[in-house]
Amino acid sequence: MKIHRIYAIILRYLYLFRHNLDRINNIIYWPLIDLSLWGLTSLFFLRLNPQAPQIILIVLSGVILWLVVYWGQYEVSINLLEDLWNKNLINLFSSPLKFSEWISAFLLIGLIRSAISFAVASIYAYILYRFKIVLYGFNLLPFFILLIMSGWWVGFFVGGIILRYGTRLQSLAGTAIVFLAPFSAVYYPRSILPQWAQTISLLLPTSYIFEGAREIITGQSLDWQKVLVAAVLSIFYLSIGFIFLYRSFIKILDKGLLKLI
Amino acid sequence: MPILKVTNLVKRFGPPSGGFVAVDNISFNLEEGEILGILGPNGAGKTTVIQMLLGVLTPTSGQILYFGKNLIDNREEILEKINFSSTYTNLPWDLTVKENLTFISYLYKVKDRQKRINRIVEIFRLEDILNQEMKNLSSGQITRVNLAKSFINMPKVLLLDEPTASLDPEVAAFVRDLLLKERKEFKVSIIVTSHDMSEVEEICDRIIFINKGRIIADNTPYNLAKTIKNTHVNLMVRDGLVKLKEFMAANRISYRIEGNYLIIDINEKDISQFLRTITAIGVIYEEISIEKPTLKDYFLEVARL
Repeated sequence: MKIHRIYAIILRYLYLFRHNLDRINNIIYWPLIDLSLWGLTSLFFLRLNPQAPQIILIVLSGVILWLVVYWGQYEVSINLLEDLWNKNLINLFSSPLKFSEWISAFLLIGLIRSAISFAVASIYAYILYRFKIVLYGFNLLPFFILLIMSGWWVGFFVGGIILRYGTRLQSLAGTAIVFLAPFSAVYYPRSILPQWAQTISLLLPTSYIFEGAREIITGQSLDWQKVLVAAVLSIFYLSIGFIFLYRSFIKILDKGLLKLI
Repeated sequence: MPILKVTNLVKRFGPPSGGFVAVDNISFNLEEGEILGILGPNGAGKTTVIQMLLGVLTPTSGQILYFGKNLIDNREEILEKINFSSTYTNLPWDLTVKENLTFISYLYKVKDRQKRINRIVEIFRLEDILNQEMKNLSSGQITRVNLAKSFINMPKVLLLDEPTASLDPEVAAFVRDLLLKERKEFKVSIIVTSHDMSEVEEICDRIIFINKGRIIADNTPYNLAKTIKNTHVNLMVRDGLVKLKEFMAANRISYRIEGNYLIIDINEKDISQFLRTITAIGVIYEEISIEKPTLKDYFLEVARL
């Protein structure tokens, strides 16, 4: 892998970011809307039931951590789509750029984007509700890393589908991860789900991550078993996702990158 | 050793039985400093060949060797030394010309990056549009930027798919001169596809004519044109037009009328006899011009097959 080629893709993203107000808007606008809506809703529930003061912590931490996984996945998928929309894949792959370098750049972009989303949402949460998620610091770090990995593997699967079926399925870039949200126990414990949904939930690393993070937010200690299960599942899906994405790329090379629009 | 050696290249789309063969067992070489034209009607397989030569389309079978090395096994090393420009691809729309050239330059090992970009900007006269986003450029300007991009890594081999499409005549002439200059100075080998026959005739040393995925001719532009025997005789007839038409109908000589001219397709060696005969039957003409067969005539003739 050559750093200068990975840098080329990141540089293109930074240029794009500078020109695209939607992307800047996404960083500022959505965390504010999510935190306002969910924060106010949880304040209302707290007023109805003052015996459950942790409700606001649980909801706000859920919102902030969900942004990490959502934007991580979104950036991997949307940047792949950008190259399709721009018919830019031939420019990229007629250069010495390797598939692994292209994907590495997306992962780094996803990481940066997740970190920015986390930071912005944390600032909003503090300003609006005096909620300091950073207080949970190192205990949340393993879950933060695993959430980024979850964003990546979902991004791989979505990217693989888009490469195979083209822009006809481009809406998946923004919606695929939302499908996982109800099973990921973002705002509620897994036990609240119906039995069949719990089975699905058990297969998702995100459900262990959110459950584990919630435990920390509510004052319990870090459950390393949850971290371990989530890590194993994340690595498994990441590997499968990468293979799927790579095979999709090889398949499209057989059809020709020019046909991929 | 040829710079590029293509051997028995085949591309089949779809299943082995009943699929579509876009490129059917073609072989050719490209020598150092040679400009090779690939011509053919729409759907002949030209772009498919170019894509396989760029490594963005996997051949069904066959071998592509650049500098004596297999493209598949030495992709990174080879692609560092080649580049391309095509009317079918875009650079990112939302980026400015400068941003596009900069990010593309990082995809290659470009020494003294900024100096090279400045030189490219100067060569392709991009100063005025350097800070404009691609989406705001005219098609001619986009073509110029695409061409500039293809020179960013000082390639040894250039693959150009319709390089002067959308360019006004002055800029197209400038690009042709530039290609000839690059070839002379740096011995760049160039493969070019174009629908502009006069352009191909002007710059190409050799032409491969592809039809239905197969090479049906591989020769110099002059030799290809020479294979067409019929020339066009343009006559402005003052008197005896009816007699002339009757004569040509009787002798099954094809003709067409364009404005004041009667254009007759006739074998070069029969022209003098033809003129003597029509004079003898009372046809009087004021002007005559004879157009030798060109590559365009060859193209039209073969494309009809």
